[in-house]
Amino acid sequence: MHAGPQNPGRRPLCRAGAAALLAAAGWTGAAWSAPITFNTALPVAKGEFVFREQFVLDQSGDDPGGADRDRTAWAAVSVLGYGVNGDLALFGVVPYVDRSLDMTVGGARRSRGAAGLGDVALFGRYTVFKDNFRGGNFRVAPFAGLELPTGDDDESDAFGRLPASVQPGSGSWDPFGGVVLTYQTLDFQIDAQASYRANTEANGFEFGDVARLDASFQYRLWPRDLGGGVPGFLYGIVEANLVYRDENRTGGRDDPDSGGTTLFLVPGLQYVTKRWIAEAAVQLPTVQDLNGTALEKDYVARAGFRVNF
Amino acid sequence: MNRIVRTTAFALSLLLLPLVAFAAPTQYQLQVDGLACPFCAYGIEKELNRTDGVENIRIDINAGTVTVTMAEGGTMTEAQASRIVEDAGFTLGGFEEVRAQASNKPE
Repeated sequence: MHAGPQNPGRRPLCRAGAAALLAAAGWTGAAWSAPITFNTALPVAKGEFVFREQFVLDQSGDDPGGADRDRTAWAAVSVLGYGVNGDLALFGVVPYVDRSLDMTVGGARRSRGAAGLGDVALFGRYTVFKDNFRGGNFRVAPFAGLELPTGDDDESDAFGRLPASVQPGSGSWDPFGGVVLTYQTLDFQIDAQASYRANTEANGFEFGDVARLDASFQYRLWPRDLGGGVPGFLYGIVEANLVYRDENRTGGRDDPDSGGTTLFLVPGLQYVTKRWIAEAAVQLPTVQDLNGTALEKDYVARAGFRVNF
Repeated sequence: MNRIVRTTAFALSLLLLPLVAFAAPTQYQLQVDGLACPFCAYGIEKELNRTDGVENIRIDINAGTVTVTMAEGGTMTEAQASRIVEDAGFTLGGFEEVRAQASNKPE
């Protein structure tokens, strides 16, 4: 249930909406090899472009509120990265989203949703420390950016204006930032990231701020022995995302049925060549400590590719 | 008769040897510190391909080396190589000129 014509005042889906928005926009899942659910500190060479396309299915359906809510969000997230030099890279993120919410209201099943261009995000990442050694490297790179209100945030249907959780855009200007660390060798790679996103108000509604801790371990499964040249690498990946989300606010009041903490464990596979990467992973919510009747996440599946040119 | 042919062939090969050596292209071997994944290698390759006089590039990711073959008369300085590697986000750990075999064909 959400703030709609027949259910005013309840907004438990807003938390899931913010999660989907974040996941779909992929604002930290930029354009490099390595982690699938967030960024890396690996460089983008000067004058080089990296393009990433990731398809995301975000499914929530375990409803403690009794309305049998089921929320599905599809997204195609396009990311373009550009290397200004060996240390500074700029990224643009353009999501196309399709969100729907089914629920039972007054004994009848109701389906609401919208599709369209989501909110574009722009950010920069600068390497403040790097240690390049033979066969590996270690890097620390802060990043900061802004999500712009480019997506429609006033979609409506026969029941009235759609709730914020299924609008393609948020309508708000949302700054975010963080720091990412990467330790890479020929055999394995470890990435870790801490980030914060300050969501702002739009249309009398404000998604809760989001704090994240992410970690990723990638291990080269094939080839087991490296010969000459540049062979493709098949990595097995395990990631973890600890996501804390503050309560949403409507009309200046906190929504007690939104926000909370979720821990995802993420198995995945990635095939990396010199020019392209193919990858897939699924985020499984292993711990969900949510407020009130906030809708619980089932899974988030991701698949995509990256190319450099 | 056979002896005359063999002697002539030997003499000709001795005469041609300096020419062969002269025709061998110049190669440089760059040790690239930090290079540890295939996707990262492309940045260096792309930058080298934009460099005048570079005819062929061979990357060995396991050794962390990039072997650059120059076109005839082409040269590369260590400063040039260092800039290219830095622009890709890595560090030049070594720079050495090596003499290529004349029979080497560009890949």
